Amino acid sequence: MSQPKLPQHHWAVPAALLAGDRRVLARSISLIEHGELAAGLVSKALAPHLGRAHVLGITGAPGAGKSTLVHAMLGELLARGQRIAVVAVDPSSPISGGAVLGDRVRMGEHGAHPNVFIRSLATRGHLGGLSQSTEEIVDVMDAAGFDTIIIETVGAGQSEVEIMRVADTRLVACAPGMGDNVQAIKAGILEIADLLVVTKSDLPGANATARDLKDMLHLRSAQAAATWTVPVLQSCATTAAGVVELLDSIAQHAKVAGHGRRLAARRPPKAAVALDSTALVMHLASVDPFAQSLGIRCTEAGKGTATVSLTLQEQHLNFNGTCHGGLVFALADSAFGLASNSYGKVAAGIDAHVTYQQAARLGDCLQARATEVSRSRKLAVYRVDVTRADGAVISSFTGTVYITGMDIAAAAAHAAQETM
Amino acid sequence: MSQVVIPKVLVTKIGFDGHDRGSRVVAAGLRDAGMEVIYTPPWQEIATVVKLALEEDVDVIGISSLATDHLIVPKLMLALREAGLNDVAVIVGGIVPDTDEATLLEAGVARVFHPGSSMADIAAYVHELAVVGRTQRVAV
Amino acid sequence: MNEAIRTEVLSEAEAYGAWQQDYATSIGVDKTVVNRSGVPIQPIYTSRDWNSKDHSADLGMPGQAPYTRGIYATMHRGKTWSQRQLTGLGTPSEFNARLLEVLAQGATALSPIPCNSVFRGYDMDESHIELLGTCGTVINTTAHMDRALQGVDLAKISCAQNDPTPFTLLAFMLAAARRRGTDWKSISGTSNQSDYLSHYVANHMFFRIALPGARRILTDHIEFCNRFLPKWNPMSVVGQHTQQAGATPAESMAFTLCTAIQNAEDCMARGMDPDQFLPRFTFFFDVSISFFEEIAKFRAARRIWAGLARNRLGAKDPRSWRFKFHAQTSGVDLTRQQPLNNISRVTVQAMAGILGGLQSLHTDAYDEALSCPSEFGARIAIATQNVLREEAHLTDVIDPLGGSFYVETLTDQMQAQIESVMQRVQDAGGMYKAVECGLVQGMIGESARKFQQKVDSGEQTVVGVNAYQIEEDSSARPVNTRPDRASMQRLIDEFKAFKAERSQSAVQTALDALARSAGDVKDNVFGRVVEAAEAGCTHGEICQTLRREMGFGHVQAIV
Repeated sequence: MSQPKLPQHHWAVPAALLAGDRRVLARSISLIEHGELAAGLVSKALAPHLGRAHVLGITGAPGAGKSTLVHAMLGELLARGQRIAVVAVDPSSPISGGAVLGDRVRMGEHGAHPNVFIRSLATRGHLGGLSQSTEEIVDVMDAAGFDTIIIETVGAGQSEVEIMRVADTRLVACAPGMGDNVQAIKAGILEIADLLVVTKSDLPGANATARDLKDMLHLRSAQAAATWTVPVLQSCATTAAGVVELLDSIAQHAKVAGHGRRLAARRPPKAAVALDSTALVMHLASVDPFAQSLGIRCTEAGKGTATVSLTLQEQHLNFNGTCHGGLVFALADSAFGLASNSYGKVAAGIDAHVTYQQAARLGDCLQARATEVSRSRKLAVYRVDVTRADGAVISSFTGTVYITGMDIAAAAAHAAQETM
Repeated sequence: MSQVVIPKVLVTKIGFDGHDRGSRVVAAGLRDAGMEVIYTPPWQEIATVVKLALEEDVDVIGISSLATDHLIVPKLMLALREAGLNDVAVIVGGIVPDTDEATLLEAGVARVFHPGSSMADIAAYVHELAVVGRTQRVAV
Repeated sequence: MNEAIRTEVLSEAEAYGAWQQDYATSIGVDKTVVNRSGVPIQPIYTSRDWNSKDHSADLGMPGQAPYTRGIYATMHRGKTWSQRQLTGLGTPSEFNARLLEVLAQGATALSPIPCNSVFRGYDMDESHIELLGTCGTVINTTAHMDRALQGVDLAKISCAQNDPTPFTLLAFMLAAARRRGTDWKSISGTSNQSDYLSHYVANHMFFRIALPGARRILTDHIEFCNRFLPKWNPMSVVGQHTQQAGATPAESMAFTLCTAIQNAEDCMARGMDPDQFLPRFTFFFDVSISFFEEIAKFRAARRIWAGLARNRLGAKDPRSWRFKFHAQTSGVDLTRQQPLNNISRVTVQAMAGILGGLQSLHTDAYDEALSCPSEFGARIAIATQNVLREEAHLTDVIDPLGGSFYVETLTDQMQAQIESVMQRVQDAGGMYKAVECGLVQGMIGESARKFQQKVDSGEQTVVGVNAYQIEEDSSARPVNTRPDRASMQRLIDEFKAFKAERSQSAVQTALDALARSAGDVKDNVFGRVVEAAEAGCTHGEICQTLRREMGFGHVQAIV
């Protein structure tokens, strides 16, 4: 039996990909899907070629009519002369690990149009890694010259929030219902939605559902910037009602706030110290490949503090079925690293100590909160508590950093140069 | 990410016949065997099947044929080659007379599964085709 | 052996108790047995399970509600079932030659099968030539239909058409009849498989137009036939497709009855009176090799339908309460391995249908699982029916299994199964809605998978496939005939010439009127199809026009 291949650390951008060769595009996507390339390699290599495409994320509970909506949108976008690529994400069976990828067929005959490219992706249970793969697949499609890229996901779990972050414009679809449909929309998704659409608007209850959604918008904690108010639209894919208005609204969002947003999040800020700590830390968290690959999210940050969280999946467990100690350490260390770097200067860890008080299990949501114990010109000490949702303390961590004189932006550029 | 091969399989029907009980059962069976299956309804155009196989980079195409639609499978094989998809394996399942089976194998079909074939055999063979196909892949 | 010979007369209870003991000690491992519909099957049935004293009201006499024993007083003893064999191959002339042979061999009714290209709504010049005429006859115009039915007096011989929405082939037949001077009022037959819902969920063979359009055209078709074709059955509600796709016999019957209700209610919403159209509703079923289950299924169906027609649909004419059906032996039970065994299988299936009280029967050829049936195989299929009727004398007694403890009990149990599935469909809002939301498709797929698991595990034996296999000499299998490529090419050339030479303005006018009718609820779409057939429009042109106006039917891909 052959050993599984290790991911490659080198990938040259194929000229044919940039020229629009579909087969090369498909094969490049496979390299990412099959895990043959190191995480982040593709995005880095393609950086100079990105930015043409507007990336639209569509999510919603199963049965919300997403694929039918995408079908209607494809028709209209094709009529506008666009080239569209679609990433359709379907859940893998938790029992067999296999999947029936049915979205593209529900998108109808447009799948056969030469200006449409559809790729189906199964979630495979690698929920943390899925958003990384999706981001890289979207980058490959962007480099291949598509005008619009649509990501369609199921919207049944936390992974969908992550995937939606890959998009420039985020749309949440909801079918008319008795209120259950609105409740089914995870709060996390609502926080980042740019547009809400009530599908199957010919059914009774469409207006009531639209009202419910508008009410839920008021509960959002992060109010969007003044440039964009989240609209609640209605559409009926079978009659094509509302589709033109929806696309116009999406285009408006792209112009005002969306287009290229996903790329802007990757660029290190020019003057890191000019940014406030919260924004800086959130940015750093999003460009940490290791934390990203584990599914670690930063939920709060400030000067000298940071809180990260993670929901335990299968791959985080050890042979005893409890959370791997290294994972707990990584979670605490992430909070530690973010808090210590929040001042804009590169802080390097030189000592860390961890204790493990309690076991954590599959499905547990763990939170690590770092607070500053002391900070001088050259050294700082942080304490991190890792807690479970019920308040139990899983682990306690202490770490020391050496504060370098380098600005964070300069450090990123230096690191990029070294790998070329 | 480990590189366990998860076969990606297209299960489809070309031509005019619409009886799809077999293809649905096989699609479900392959999913239950841990594979990723793209299942289409019947009456797919050959060009559509080729486009789909290319975009999804499938390892194996399974064609289900009840009546006589297998007679245009050679046209599909030609279209796949013209699109540069020589390394996509094709299997045919359904009612295929012996004389026609020889023609299909000559045209490049890997194997024909007749009525009475077990799901386990089909899944094992598809898995083998996918593993072999991946190791022989030419780098892009 | 020490067995006391019982000389005294036992009471029924003692006898039963003694049998139970004997059985328990002798049986060894007593496996639970369940039929395809999930009904548990006992080793024996007695008056404890069913007796005529308590249950005669459920039984009735043949020709009387609830028709459990048969819809007519005389059944097969009075008039034998019709032998309606499907026939179809190649060009219209080749088909005509085969047709006349089949009539000479004893077939009393016709059922031409058109080519798959016709089923999909395409003309011959739009299709792969390899696939033309391989499993059915290519008929694209009125002239083709006329040629195909040469020598057949439509006023005397019943000729069904296997051609659903928009029923172009019937339109061609009517146009041909008018050219011959045959009065439409004398034409008898059935729009076979006109049930668009069954195609949508299971067979997909004939599916062409989106669901809402197909629904409208069917209702128009029923209305048209009611007015102009008094001997024609426009509605053939199909159970065969769902059962062949994997539904259990009870599920399939339930779906069929729910579809009949749906279609009837659509007609009533149009203002038609149930007693006007119900007498012309017919049903079409698969008959599997699960012998007693099928007999019980049909007996239960007659009873259920009588109640539905009378109580739910409000029909007053007893002709409306009669459950008339055609059955076809199930091709799904046949095997490719040791194909001659299929002759035995078809015989058992045919017997089940006959003893179940069908009105018309198609027996499959033994080589169904190898290719489209050969002439040789088709001949044996017809002979099977002749043997059953004339040598086994199956027509002598009406409902011969009536009163059997087993068959009566099973009839009641099948009725309960059928009604429970019907309730699920009704709860989903009726058959149309249940199909739209995929409920029916999901149930069928589930049953198909379960059956496959039983075969794969060996729990269900299939002789020659998972048991009793032998090494077979493939050269012993019949070589199937393919249509002559040269004559097909000639037909295509003739067809192209016909299109060039006909009156383009007449064709265009007819197609425009057809297109307009799709958007006008007061017009009758099928009436316009007939006019288009008479104006020289082709099958593909008619289907294409309606697809454009009403939407192409796309099947959901539910696994």
